[in-house]
Amino acid sequence: MVKTERLHAQDVEPTPGSAWLIGAAAWFVPGLGHLLLKRWGRAILMGSAVYVCFFAGMAMGGHMFDLNPSPGSSVLFQIPPMIGNLGTGALYIICWLLGVGFNDDPEQAARATYEYGYIFLIIAGLLNYLTMLDAFDIAAGRKS
Amino acid sequence: MMTLFAALASVVLGSMGKDTPRDRWLYGLKVFAEFMLIGLVLGWILYFVP
Repeated sequence: MVKTERLHAQDVEPTPGSAWLIGAAAWFVPGLGHLLLKRWGRAILMGSAVYVCFFAGMAMGGHMFDLNPSPGSSVLFQIPPMIGNLGTGALYIICWLLGVGFNDDPEQAARATYEYGYIFLIIAGLLNYLTMLDAFDIAAGRKS
Repeated sequence: MMTLFAALASVVLGSMGKDTPRDRWLYGLKVFAEFMLIGLVLGWILYFVP
């Protein structure tokens, strides 16, 4: 390690363990990370944005993805949207356990809002990843 | 639906984007306007594409 790298490595403070817990809580329940940090405004705004996006997607008849490919499809095509869906944390897990939103129902797929719905569900997960990173950064002291 | 998406995304991006509340509001409004404008422009372009 050259001298400048060694000096830089000494400047970087280790991430506190609580930041990882806050990050995990923020992923699992949208808005909880900011609530734990007592950032009420951000918790309400960002958490409700994720919930509204998720429930709007469900109301539109959106479909969520897991590792069971639909007939004629590959599991590889399921993974990217599943990563997006997984961002909603407990919402995804509860729906997966209850089997809500995972069925390949032709009537549901025929709805005019079906494609909007599944995009909204993916967007909800991606927004929650951003929320999680924001909570993590605040907990780690990298952001005010 | 495009407006709903733009509003939700701009709320999240605006909340985490800047340092002061005023800058966050301005940034959120700017992101919202950009989403709407780009969506409308792309919609009209695709309308004429066969």
